[in-house]
Amino acid sequence: DDAIQVRQKVVEVDPLEEAEFDREFRALMQESLESRKLELRARPTLNMTIPMNVFEGSARDHHGRSMEGESGDEVVDEEGGVGNKKDVCVKVLVKRGNKQQTKQMLIPKDCSLVQSTKQKEAAELEE
Amino acid sequence: EETGDDENYEYGKVDFTEHSCRYCGVQNPACVVRCNVPSCRKWFCNSRGNTSGSHIVNHLVRAKHKEVCLHKDSPLGETILECYNCGCRNVFLLGFISAKTESVVVLLCREPCLSVNALKDMNWDLSQWCPLIDDRCFLQWLVKIPSEQEQLRARQISAQQINKVEELWKTNPDATLEDLEKPGVDDEPQPVALKYEDAYQYQNVFAPLIKLEADYDKMMKESQSKDNVTIRWDIGLNKKRVAYFVFPKEDNELRLVPGDELRLRYPGDATHPAWQSVGHVIKLTAQEEVALELRASQGVPVDVNHGLTVDFVWKSTSFDRMQGAMKTFAVDETSVSGYIYHHLLGHEVESQVVRNTLPRRFGAPGLPELNASQVFAVKSVLQKPVSLIQGPPGTGKTVTSAAIVYHMAKQGQGQVLVCAPSNVAVDQLAEKISATGLKVVRLCAKSREAVSSPVEHLTLHYQVRHLDTSEKSELHKLQQLKDEQGELSSSDEKKYKALKRATEREISQSADVICCTCVGAGDPRLANFRFRQVLIDESTQATEPECLIPLVLGVKQAVLVGDHCQLGPVIMCKKAARAGLAQSLFERLVLLGVKPFRLQVQYRMHPALSEFPSNSFYEGTLQNGVTINERQSSGIDFPWPVPNRPMFFYVQMGQEEISASGTSYLNRTEAANVEKIVTTFLRSGVIPSQIGVITPYEGQRAYIVNYMSRNGALRQQLYKEIEVASVDSFQGREKDYIILSCVRSNEHQGIGFLNDPRRLNVALTRARYGIVILGNPKVLSKQPLWNGLLTHYKEHECLVEGPLNNLKQSMVQFQKPKKIYN
Ligand SMILES: [Zn+2]
Ligand SMILES: [Zn+2]
Ligand SMILES: [Zn+2]
Repeated sequence: DDAIQVRQKVVEVDPLEEAEFDREFRALMQESLESRKLELRARPTLNMTIPMNVFEGSARDHHGRSMEGESGDEVVDEEGGVGNKKDVCVKVLVKRGNKQQTKQMLIPKDCSLVQSTKQKEAAELEE
Repeated sequence: EETGDDENYEYGKVDFTEHSCRYCGVQNPACVVRCNVPSCRKWFCNSRGNTSGSHIVNHLVRAKHKEVCLHKDSPLGETILECYNCGCRNVFLLGFISAKTESVVVLLCREPCLSVNALKDMNWDLSQWCPLIDDRCFLQWLVKIPSEQEQLRARQISAQQINKVEELWKTNPDATLEDLEKPGVDDEPQPVALKYEDAYQYQNVFAPLIKLEADYDKMMKESQSKDNVTIRWDIGLNKKRVAYFVFPKEDNELRLVPGDELRLRYPGDATHPAWQSVGHVIKLTAQEEVALELRASQGVPVDVNHGLTVDFVWKSTSFDRMQGAMKTFAVDETSVSGYIYHHLLGHEVESQVVRNTLPRRFGAPGLPELNASQVFAVKSVLQKPVSLIQGPPGTGKTVTSAAIVYHMAKQGQGQVLVCAPSNVAVDQLAEKISATGLKVVRLCAKSREAVSSPVEHLTLHYQVRHLDTSEKSELHKLQQLKDEQGELSSSDEKKYKALKRATEREISQSADVICCTCVGAGDPRLANFRFRQVLIDESTQATEPECLIPLVLGVKQAVLVGDHCQLGPVIMCKKAARAGLAQSLFERLVLLGVKPFRLQVQYRMHPALSEFPSNSFYEGTLQNGVTINERQSSGIDFPWPVPNRPMFFYVQMGQEEISASGTSYLNRTEAANVEKIVTTFLRSGVIPSQIGVITPYEGQRAYIVNYMSRNGALRQQLYKEIEVASVDSFQGREKDYIILSCVRSNEHQGIGFLNDPRRLNVALTRARYGIVILGNPKVLSKQPLWNGLLTHYKEHECLVEGPLNNLKQSMVQFQKPKKIYN
């Protein structure tokens, strides 16, 4: 009952500020890249094993709620939230020390990450 | 003015949660990340606000920090973002890729891991690497962007402020944005504004002003020690010890009021040990004697009457509550409705209608019939979330307010909170509202519980004592024991306190309406109460932060009643007043374009007396609800120059003087003539309580009181019963006859206090039957408004001089007014 209409003021970003911020941002990016190139280019090691269980069955998300359906299925935002748009559920693989962990996360369907996966799945199905 | 027992109470306890964005305050766990640099560890959100990058990206770039950690309640839980392959934590290099064919994603750094050929061979799709930071913002599906609502409600920080605070953090990692605004000791404070970006900016402006006023008040009051005070001892009805003494008033604005806390000390002598005790002022007698009820009765040197010392005990309670309310307003989203939040800050908000079924008639039981403008105000107010009612003198704003509260309470939206800055106004309202049949609780400050009140039966402390049910007999037993013995054993005291608190709560919760002062709304006893509907009377006499105290208890519908054409809040500290602390919220809302509903029929003044105020202050809209006949004082034989116009301006040419203290003025000729007028009134049959003498200067006030009691032609007692007071202390009240002594009579100086048109308005609108003004037209006519007043009196043949029994029209020449007042 507290829906209000505040007239949105147009955010005016000072072009000078924007340019300065951009410069700093790019400098930081550049510096990050260069430092890594020097450090690690020589011997890149590979440590990308993915535990098999990640590919198995339905995982539990961290709320203990069972996520219905297989990963990659389209799920509808339960809250019926903003626009009720369809997201895709993915597993994010992270390392805690040397142990791998997976977490569930919703990614918009139109994200390039999942689109390419879908395409490949489709391609593989055809083979 | 309000002192309370809230030492253990923490104001504005709704605090920044640890993980709120250090720039804007957003605290949604899905929207924030923590900078993982050990010396930093600050949280930032992923909204852009007013800048081109999101807050977290802004911070990382400005501080040159590169690592972050997600919140434990975010979808991924507490996770430091790092490359799955090499563990690199530089977020500027990280991005997601999907693993092989399944929907499994990992973070991978752009350099070097993304360019390792072996990965490609292992069937990873490296072409779709998706950077973590895109368009100077974290991926929205990893760190959510706060909703538009959340962003609007957050602090609106600018790029400049970000740069400044980041600079400050380099030397002081714990600095806050408020530290940026802190003025140096000698700086003028930042003045108040019409609109505020957000509640933080609002707080940044008002907090220093309240601090200035508090410091000034403390300094003033604590310097009020008086030695060699003579005491008269007495015992009150509640068996407590009461000390009576005269507390000489200096020529400053400080006045003792009931509820003030004083300390009484005796240094000791051969037969008495040193002693001291604190107490509360419970009343001020007509003889300007103070009655102080002592907290402890033990060891009082009752056989000593001379040589005691009185100190003022300053309490920060009211200022703390204002600061607390501002903090709550900023950090607690539920403190006021979204609509009211934006409205108070001057943001443009689409107007909203409160959808309530309107009553068939707008009056209320137990109240007089409402007139057309009152009905219109009640009806309109009930349909609006924020409204202003302007009540010019004598237009029945208390009745109108009571009718509004009656209908609000009948809407069943929970309890209604009714406040005013002064206790007198709260009592008046409580009485009227109670007359409609609603259940009213009048909450008094603990320090005022012993102060007599016309609505004692409505006060919470009275109701607690008289709630005579069997369940409560335990409390009564303990209360009696406490009254008799003065104190209880510690276990009994504990039981007593718990029972009392529970009873207070029970009574308060069952009320339809709670009435208290604005500061009283911050009482810990109301801490867990929520009020959706709040009415504030006399709101034009409260500072903004004072007005905020009752509002931040969850208000959705606010009604401010007042009159911005009368005097505003009293600000002692000049610096704070100059910066705009004296401007009320009501006034600012008027400046923002909120049109007040004006009550238009006045029931106080003889029509001849209302004419000038109506034309000068209310665009001529004030109508008379009383006739000349109803204001004809039958049997009173007073020499009015024009019989049907009970008013005159009595030309005075006596010189003004600086009073003994050097800070005020007095005018002996005017004082002598005031006595003559008073005596004439008394002789013609008017009784003392019908007469009020008002003057803008304390020096003159004290002189008149003294002069009349020494030189009055009639019995001394009669003059003592006549109220002589400042214009300011007469606001909100009325007398049948008013004598106004203007004092200033110096050709070369200004007219000081009298320059404020609002003070003139108040002075001219106190009288019901007749008014006499004493002053020097030559001096006063320089000011345009006074020039208008003098011309008005002259045109009606009411500008006179000479002895009272032979008044003649004055031919005194006016001066040209300096500039047009607008
Ligand atoms: Zn940092
Ligand atoms: Zn933020
Ligand atoms: Zn890496």
